[in-house]
Amino acid sequence: MALKYIEEYRDATLARDLIKKIHGVSKRKLRLMEVCGTHTMSIFKHGIRSVIPEGITLLSGPGCPVCVTAQKDIDAFVEFARVKNVIVTTFGDLMKVPGSSSTLAKEKASGADVRIVYSVFDAINIAKDNIDKEVVFCAVGFETTIPTIAASILMGIEAKIDNFSIYSANKLTPPALAALMVTKGVEIDGFILPGHVSVITGTNAYRDTFEKYDVPSVISGFEPIDILKAILLLIEQNEIGKPALENAYPRAVSDQGNVKAQQIMNQVFEVCNAFWRGIGEIPLSGMGLKKEYQVFDAAIKFGMDMPEVPEPKGCACGEILMGLKTPEQCALYKKKCTPMTPVGPCMVSTEGSCAAFYRYS
Amino acid sequence: MTEEKILLDHGSGGKVSHSMFSDIILPLFENPELSKQDDGATLDIDGAKLAFSTDSYVVDPIFFPGGNIGDLAVNGTINDISMCGAIPKFISVGLIIEEGLSIKDLKSILETMATAAKKAGVKIVTGDTKVVPRGKADKIFINTSGIGVIPDNVEVSGHNAKPGDKIIVSGTIADHGITVLSSREGLKFDSDIKTDSAPLNHMVQSIVQSDCDVHVLRDPTRGGLGTTLNEIAVQSQVGIKIDEQSLPIRGAVQGTCELLGFDPLYIANEGKLIAFVKPEDAQKALEIIQQDEFGKDAVIIGEVIDETPGKVFLQTAIGGSRIVDMLTGEQLPRIC
Ligand code: SF4
Repeated sequence: MALKYIEEYRDATLARDLIKKIHGVSKRKLRLMEVCGTHTMSIFKHGIRSVIPEGITLLSGPGCPVCVTAQKDIDAFVEFARVKNVIVTTFGDLMKVPGSSSTLAKEKASGADVRIVYSVFDAINIAKDNIDKEVVFCAVGFETTIPTIAASILMGIEAKIDNFSIYSANKLTPPALAALMVTKGVEIDGFILPGHVSVITGTNAYRDTFEKYDVPSVISGFEPIDILKAILLLIEQNEIGKPALENAYPRAVSDQGNVKAQQIMNQVFEVCNAFWRGIGEIPLSGMGLKKEYQVFDAAIKFGMDMPEVPEPKGCACGEILMGLKTPEQCALYKKKCTPMTPVGPCMVSTEGSCAAFYRYS
Repeated sequence: MTEEKILLDHGSGGKVSHSMFSDIILPLFENPELSKQDDGATLDIDGAKLAFSTDSYVVDPIFFPGGNIGDLAVNGTINDISMCGAIPKFISVGLIIEEGLSIKDLKSILETMATAAKKAGVKIVTGDTKVVPRGKADKIFINTSGIGVIPDNVEVSGHNAKPGDKIIVSGTIADHGITVLSSREGLKFDSDIKTDSAPLNHMVQSIVQSDCDVHVLRDPTRGGLGTTLNEIAVQSQVGIKIDEQSLPIRGAVQGTCELLGFDPLYIANEGKLIAFVKPEDAQKALEIIQQDEFGKDAVIIGEVIDETPGKVFLQTAIGGSRIVDMLTGEQLPRIC
């Protein structure tokens, strides 16, 4: 049943029609940014770059949570792993991201208790099963994951779990898009907006940014048909000169989004400034725990405050996330930096632009 | 902190495992048999052609839908020997048991091993048991080694792929890896997926003993179909093109992969083979495989091409094209 649903959005005939239309309307060279790492992955996996006109450049944006995580936050994760009696819980993608001196994977090999979880609720369960230890969850995510993390904290309160805390490096999507638009050198003719995030935020969350910068924006699902459709709409908007904020993923995204999820998120978290890799501090682009929930803040609990450190020398992740460079323009790409010896997070994360280029092209 | 250590990636069967093999292991043991890097070594002892192979099993959990670590270990070695074109004959079993394992579990593992050996027609002729203190191993680890006889006129190797060869896969991919993952604690999905663990020796003998010209046989275990195809592309210095739409994947397996962000091309199989066959013989070989009890869903998934040596391409369902790279690091630890 579920599969039939997916297949509909991978239909070869439908795809062929869309590709034909895209070639029909495309006249000018355009630079379109897929904001989300899941889009980057899907674009590569389905060979979408190979079927669209050469003049259309697809850029990966700041929507891969691991890739945008600041160096000092990665260092903090590694540092937690070194604290006695701490179990660090993390999504698998963070394991190999190089901090200044080590990675979670290396700490694990040296004896630290680092466990990969698929959901923050697994981390809560680990805390329940290990009451003599402290469990720290490395929270890196966007609007898609933040509500679940909030729910886990409420659950922790209800179950009176006091050996669980999170280190929040959570981030919000719209402020990053706005920051991109005012960054020197950034040229973007359209945004393919992330489907998963938009399910939570709703179309309305992008309205301010759209109205301010008037840049073509289309919310898209992750199947090839969805993405081709979004590309077609963005080209059409550009060719007729009428930027619009369109929702091409109405089967999942509404104007208001998931209000309940937003409520839970806003109950536990509040907007704060956040550091983005390569971009620096973006005002009001992060989500930190509200005062009343700070007993769950690992940074406070352990007094963890890592210094800001420069990103790995030569790594162009930051510029890549802003569409200023492609991975091939990084001097380290495929030389010093490979998925086996990653220098930056974009080569580690399965959603990272460098990893996708390396694996699929 | 700078001292290099073994990471889980080194056991993935992907690129990191390969570089450990070629940088650390191969230089110390260098010999022509090992250097071939096939699933098992082919040996010539006074004119007798033998295949010899070994494999260790550390799967977690030890029991999973459709099988357990025992039949996995027996079938795994049978298949490695079979992929040399050989008829597996004798197997050894080494057990490393953690203190505290229930005798009932041990018995049931050994019983499945006996049944698996019987079904495949091989004998378990020697073995060893060690018990280690609690916490020094995880329940049970099993090593199996085996010997097989390569019939005259049979010569298959990862080095023999030729441009034009059709590529057959003997059934649905990714079943085993997804089964183990799903039955692992904390990830309990409602699905009827089970391991594909099966002995492929009879299937192999029916193709190699037919008049079909079979160049390569491989079982895409750790690292999955994608990694195995890459190994062959490199060994034979040819290009490979496969068609996404022809890949046989069960609905529930595909669904789980989508949900967790795994690519079925890199997920382990334990009862599937891929065969590279001369184009004229491909249809016939396919039919022979389909007649085998474990080959009903066999299909042709692609072909060997004369360009881009060492590279594997996938024609996507929407008509695009992309590279299929070798798995780099650990996608799923302790799957076999
Ligand atoms: S190739 Fe490596 S070093 Fe270069 S930008 Fe990507 S991750 Fe950074």
